[in-house]
Parts: sequence; structure tokens; C-alpha cells
Amino acid sequence: MGNGSGPGSLALAATNLNAVRETMDVNLEISRILNTGLDTETLSICVRLCEQGINPEALSSVIKELRKTTEALQAPENMTSYLETP
Amino acid sequence: MATPDQKSPNVLLQNLCCRILGRSEADVAQQFQFAVRVIGSNFAPTVERDEFLVAEKIKKELIRQRREADAALFSELHRKLHSQGVLKNKWSILYLLLNLSEDPRRQANKVSNYATLFAQALPRDAHSTPYYCARPQTLPLNYQDRGTQAVPSSGSLGSSGISSIGMGALGGPAPAPQPLLPGQSHQTLGVGDCLRQQLGSRLAWTLTANQPSSQTPPSKGIPNAVSRSMTRSRREGETGGAMEITEAALVRDILYVFQGIDGKNIKMSNTENCYKVEGKANLSKSLRDTAVRLAELGWLHNKIRKYTDQRSLDRSFGLVGQSFCAALHQELKEYYRLLSVLHSQLQLEDDQGVNLGLESSLTLRRLLVWTYDPKIRLKTLAALVDHCQGRKGGELASAVHAYTRTGDPYMRSLVQHILSLVSHPVLSFLYRWIYDGELEDTYHEFFVASDPTVKTDRLWHDKYTLRKSMIPSFMTMDQSRKVLLIGKSINFLHQVCHDQTPTTKMIAVTKSAEPPQDAADLFTDLENAFQGKIDAAYFETSKYLLDVLNKKYSLLDHMQAMRRYLLLGQGDFIRHLMDLLKPELVRPATTLYQHNLTGILETAVRATNAQFDSPETLRRLDVRLLEVSPGDTGWDVFSLDYHVDGPIATVFTRECMSHYLRVFNFLWRAKRMEYILTDIRKGHMCNAKLLRNMPELSGVLHQCHILASEMVHFIHQMQYYITFEVLECSWDELWNRVQQAQDLDHIIAAHEAFLDTITSRCLLDSGSRVLLNQLRAVFDQIIELQNAQDAIYRAALEELQRRLQFEEKKKQHEIEGQWGVTAAEEEEENRRIREFQESIPKMCSQLQILTHFYQGIVQQFLVLLTTSSDESLRFLSFRLDFNEHYKAREPRLRVSLGTRGRRSAHM
Repeated sequence: MGNGSGPGSLALAATNLNAVRETMDVNLEISRILNTGLDTETLSICVRLCEQGINPEALSSVIKELRKTTEALQAPENMTSYLETP
Repeated sequence: MATPDQKSPNVLLQNLCCRILGRSEADVAQQFQFAVRVIGSNFAPTVERDEFLVAEKIKKELIRQRREADAALFSELHRKLHSQGVLKNKWSILYLLLNLSEDPRRQANKVSNYATLFAQALPRDAHSTPYYCARPQTLPLNYQDRGTQAVPSSGSLGSSGISSIGMGALGGPAPAPQPLLPGQSHQTLGVGDCLRQQLGSRLAWTLTANQPSSQTPPSKGIPNAVSRSMTRSRREGETGGAMEITEAALVRDILYVFQGIDGKNIKMSNTENCYKVEGKANLSKSLRDTAVRLAELGWLHNKIRKYTDQRSLDRSFGLVGQSFCAALHQELKEYYRLLSVLHSQLQLEDDQGVNLGLESSLTLRRLLVWTYDPKIRLKTLAALVDHCQGRKGGELASAVHAYTRTGDPYMRSLVQHILSLVSHPVLSFLYRWIYDGELEDTYHEFFVASDPTVKTDRLWHDKYTLRKSMIPSFMTMDQSRKVLLIGKSINFLHQVCHDQTPTTKMIAVTKSAEPPQDAADLFTDLENAFQGKIDAAYFETSKYLLDVLNKKYSLLDHMQAMRRYLLLGQGDFIRHLMDLLKPELVRPATTLYQHNLTGILETAVRATNAQFDSPETLRRLDVRLLEVSPGDTGWDVFSLDYHVDGPIATVFTRECMSHYLRVFNFLWRAKRMEYILTDIRKGHMCNAKLLRNMPELSGVLHQCHILASEMVHFIHQMQYYITFEVLECSWDELWNRVQQAQDLDHIIAAHEAFLDTITSRCLLDSGSRVLLNQLRAVFDQIIELQNAQDAIYRAALEELQRRLQFEEKKKQHEIEGQWGVTAAEEEEENRRIREFQESIPKMCSQLQILTHFYQGIVQQFLVLLTTSSDESLRFLSFRLDFNEHYKAREPRLRVSLGTRGRRSAHM
């Protein structure tokens, strides 16, 4: 999949790049429809991981965990406020 | 992807963690490790890698959220994605996105607090408590590690691990009265996911990938629900030991078993061909029994499924079989629908966690009740499948029909429905056959079979037969014969009579409505609906056929012509013919030429009433010369013939024509005898006067006369018998039957019966060979007499002639004045007279021998007649011996006739 040498390959690379961009756009759109909350970069990392053969189930659970962790790390102030309500 | 930077997964993963957490690399170490562990351990996906399945799921999900426009948009995007072909693992991308998608409708506010509450514990436990990862093996470790703190409501499972975590980690901030709640919600979080991922994709439920943590509402803490979730996870981590299987697990298993898939605990045991609960499981007896009872449904389902799957591969199964399989499929679909309802019920419980409560949750008992009706249906279907193994075509329809005879109205209606579908092809075959005469039956399912090797001349007799095994049991044999006849008639008309009238004109009855409606009629009024159509078609078609045969092909005219010519009905013609033919036929057979004889035939026709017959008939009349054996005279080889072709040949087949010719032969011979005797009588009368002057001949002549009279009597009686007892009676019967015939088969049968009767009564069948030989002997004697008589007369007449000549010469001489006779002449004359008179005794004795012979033969004939089985022959013997002339001479004839009027054959 590397860039070949020669003029033809440049054009090829160019079309490839276009296709890649389009694919990313499509993926982004799908992700937006499905409300996954993934931004572009995260999505691209995910796509790359999937392409490399990672199990999506595992990956999705990882992402979910990470998200929860994020929320948890932002929670302390919420928690205290909640606890004080009877 | 053609990206220049191919980062390794680890690096990517780390980037991901950074990105999501929003921290720098160093801080994400824990999460990163965790992520690596998760991904490393769960390498293979547990669901099918089916891109389209996932796409469908996404669409369904979107539609469920009432976002149809988005669903359409997604389809478009998916198509685009698919067409671009840049990504290789589209499935995984889509699956990932699906998993991460969130329902914007779900309220997540309150619960998230719990989740965050809970999540706070995570970092500390991230290393050693992977219970929220999808690694089943680690789960029990978790519990056992934590020790069991018996939670009363969760049965015997140790679920305290969670609670202890909760307790320990949160230090009591979790609401005390419901310690399990976080555990439960947390539990459903990880386990629910992995469960869902691990359950097969065959189930029809949609994948709701909503974050359970964000959606599980605060429940009232129903312990059972919790324990169920515990048991779920427990089951996941089953590594043996005395584990109790609860009802919920069984319910899930049963739902699989209903479809024929082995569940975790209930598996199909091939040796015993039933579903069994795993022996190791510790299960209460009632649960076990109920589960096994429910598993029967799965067994029935498997049976039916196996049958339909097998049959769908079988190419020669035929249309009836295919419709049967389709009917079974339909029923199975209904069944699957029920199953999907049950599944969704279960799913609902999963999703909503503990919200449903005991009242509406699925239990084995509930399943029993709900599956009662389906079970009966499946049982009926399975019984049908068993019964129908290896059958096809009309047999299959009969087999299904046999099952409608049941008292149970539910079962009956089900089987009737299936029967109506199954018999649809048969009925359509039937209607096509009786209305169009066409038969397109590649799989040999219909009960009418057509033999393609038969040519048109044998079409009526040989081409179409009944395939008895394929006659469905709701049609009687009579009906099926009628059906065969109708189609045969139509084909006959089209091919042999060259009558292309479309059937709709023929049949006043309009073509039936859609066959399925007929099928419904069929079962409301089984006998009559069907019968009516068949009868109407039969009546019309046969009537039309007979009309065509009579008008266009004048079948009846030909039959009558046969009677007149071949059966010697036209007396004047036959007489004249015989007169004309007599000089020809006495010649040896080898000298006869057919065209001569044909010329004579035509002369005879023109001179008698036969000329008024239709030219069509006369055209077919012809002379036939039989095979010549040496020594035959013309009489032996002459025969008339009648040509038949086309549709007439169906009735007058070759065998029939040969019968006719044999009978003609017999009748012709008898007629000839009569003719001869007439000649003899003529001779008597003519010559009696002349020979009165020769008294020495009177004795001979007298004997001749007597013998001739006997023979005349005999022949008269024979002729009477033949003409009246045999021909006229049979003909009358035939004619009546033919006039009343309703179809061609009747005519053919009547005609054949007629020929059989005549043949046997004319002594031409094999049983009467002896009688026939006797009769032939009698005829031979008659011919002998004729010859003898001719010789006598010739001699006598010659003698007379000479004497007259002599007298004349005498007179002549006297007139001339000479002596009347000279002595020498007189001497010669006397000598001659003496010679003549000496020959008379010879003649006498010859005649006597002849008489004796003749009488012996006749007596023998009489004896045979009295022992024959045919009544009319016996009566013939009475007529022949009316004055007991023979009885006096033949002692055997004096034996009593016995009670039956018949002597025994052994005498």
C-alpha cells in the first residue's frame, strides 16, 4: 500500500487520497447520525485500529470505559453536591 | 488505508486514550494498560462478521428511534461506503459505531450520577478487577476472590463481590438500603454487553447498544431480577461444580431449543433423539420436567425443519411436494413469529432490567401455557411429515387427506388448510386436463399418464392410462376414470378427428374460478362440488365427441354397413353376388384375379338395392382374396372387405376387422351350402319330369331326394339359428347400446361385446372347435352330395339323351322307309341300357354310403350340441331333431337331459 515510484502512481496516490477523504467523510457522517460522540481524530484512530484487525467489540468496550473514566474524573464536584441532598 | 504513517496498534491505542481522556500520555497509563488487556484478551469477535447484518441493525435502531430520515440517509452513506471500497473491514467500523451510538432520547441525568459514583472506584480497581471487561473467565475469579458474602436475595450465588466493592470502595456513600443496586447496574453494564455479544445473531432482537449505565433507571430493587442477572453472569463463568441453574437460564435455553439450537444446559442427545438437560446441572425436578416438556417443541420443530430442508434440495419432488413444503414453511413462520415475540419479551426484561417485575416476566410455566397451542400445531405437522415421508404427487395429497379425518376441530382445520394448498397443483392439473386436454406433468404426479411412444392410431386405446397410485383419496375411481375419458376425448378430437374447436365452445359450463376457491369448496362439500364439474365436463365433451363421430365420420352408418355387407345383411345383394360369382369361384384359387372379382362386385352392387347406399360406404367395400393353399377353389379364398381409417378405426380396430372377416367366412360358407342345396332342389324339379321315363332310376332319385331334404332341413335350421338367434339379437342389443351410449368407451365396449357374442355363437371361438369341425364335416357332405347328384344326373341325362336320340333315329329311319332299328343297333342299344342299369346299383350304394355318413355326422353334431353350454345351441338341437328322427338311431341321444336341460359333457 506504499507509494509506488513513477508518475502513474502519483495520480493513483491522488485518487487514493480522494477516496480516503471521502471515506472518512462518510464515516463521520454515519458516526454523527448514530450519535456516537466521536470526533474526527478519535474516529480516524478507531478506523485505523479496525482496519488493522482489532476486535470492534473489545474496542467499543474500551472506549466506553474510557469515557466513563473521563466522566468520573470530572465528577468529584458533582458527587459532593449530590451527597448533600437528602 | 493508504496512509503513510502506519502506526502500530499500541501507539494508536495510546493516542486514543489520550484523546478521549483529554490527558497527556503519562497520565493515561492505567487506562492504556487496561485497554491493552481488554483488546488483547478479546481478540476474536463473537458475532458474525456480517456487514449487512450490522447495517440492518443500525437501520432498525434508527427506525426504532423514529428517525426514518436518518435511516434513509444512513442507507445512502452505507452504499457510498460500500462502493468506495477503500476500507477493508467495513464490518468492524460499522459495528464499532453501532456499539458506540447513543439514543438521544434516553435521559441520562440521574443515573449518570450513580455511574459516576461508581466509576470513581474504577481507577483503583482497574488492575485487579476486570469484572467489567468482557472476559468471562475472569469473572468467577473476581467473585471467589472477594469471598462470598451471602446476599439473601440472590440465591446461592456469590454476588457480594460487587457489593463488597461497592461497600468498600464507596465507603458507604452508596445508598445503604440498596447495596445491590449499583452492583446490579454495574453488572448489567459489562455483563450485559458481553452477553449480548455472545448470544448468537440468530435471534431476532435488535442490538441496543445503549450504554446500560446511562439508561438503567433506578429500580425498586427487585431481588429476583438481580439474582437473574447474577445468574446470567454466573452461567457465563461456569467452570463446573454444583451450580444451580435457575429458571431464567432455563428460559433462555428453552427459547433456543424452540428453534432447534442447543442451549447451554439443554442439549440434543442424538442417541435418544430428544432434548435433555445436562446431567451435571443441579436442578429441581419440577423445573427439569417442565424444561424437558418444553423442549419437545424444539424436537418437533427440528423434525419439520429437517423434512422441509431435505425436500427443498430434492429436484424431483414435484409440485405437490413443493406446495406441501411451502405450507409447512408458512406454519413454521408463524411459529417463529411467536418465538420472536417471546424473545423480545425477554429482551425487554434485559433492557429494562428489573422494571418488569414478577408478574410479566417469562417463566417456564408461562411458556408452557403460551406454547400449548403451537405445540398442538407442531405435533400435527410433525405427524403429517412422518406420514408423508417418501411420498409425492397424488399420494402425498392422499396422505394429507387421511389426516383430515379427525375429531379434533382445531387439527382438522389446520390439516384442511394444508390440504387445500397441497391439492392445488393436483386440481390445476385436473382442470387443465379436463378443459384443455393438456398434460404437463414433469414429475409424474398426476394420475393420468401419457405414453409418448404411442401413435395417433392407437391414441384412444393405449396412449392414456390411469396411474392408480397417484389418485388422491378424495376422488373415487369412477371420477378418475371419467377424468381420464374427458381428457382422452379432447385429445382424440384434436388429433384424430382433426377438430380444433376450442374447448370453451364445447363446454357450456364456464371455466371454474380460481382453483384455490375450488379447494375451499372442495372441503365444505367434498362430494358434490368436484363431482359437478367433472360430470358437466364429461357430459359435454362426450356428447360433442359422439356428435362429431356421427355427423362428420358417420360412425353409425359404417356400423350398419358392416352389418349389411360383412354380416350378409343385404340379402338380395349377397344372393346376386353369389350368382355372379359362381362360375368364377369354382375355378382353382390361383387363377383368380382380384380386379375381375371387383368388377363382378360392382356389377352386383349396381344391380341390387345396394346401389342406393351412400357412396362413402360403397367406396369402402372391396374384395379380398385370402391366402391360397394348394387345392383351394375360389370358394375358399374369397372374402369381402370393408376399409376403415381415421377415427372409425378406433372403434373398428384391426382385431375387430379380423373378427368380422372370420364371421363373414362362416356365414358365407353357410350361405353357400344353402345355395348348393337350392341348386340341388332345382335340379330335382327340373329333371324329375324328364327322368320319369326311366323307372330304374326312380330308386336312386328317391334316395337322392330324401337325403337332400334332410340336408335342406338341417341347413335351414342352421340358417335360422344364425340369422335370428345370433345375428339379429346381438345386433339389436348393440344398436340399442350404441344409441344410448354416453361416450366413446361405451360404444367400443358394446361393439366388442357384440363381436364376442357372435364369434362364440357362430362356433368360431376356441371352445367350440369340435362343434365347428362337425359342422364343417356336414358341409363337406353336402358338397359330396352335390357332386354325387351331379354325376347321377349327368349320367342319367346322358342316358336319356342317348335314348331319345335312339328313338329319334328310329323314327327317322321309319320315315325314310327303312327298318326302325337294325338288329345291331338294337343290340348296341340294349347293351348300353344294360350297362346303364348296372351302374345304377353303384349309384345307389354310393348314395347310401353318403346318407349313412351324413347321418352319423349329424348325430354326432347333435350330441355335441346338447352338451354345449350355450342355451341357444341346445335349443338348436331340439329344432334339428324335432321329430326325433335321429334320436331313434342314436342311443346316446336318448339319455335324459337332466334337470338343467343339458347333458353332461362326458358321455
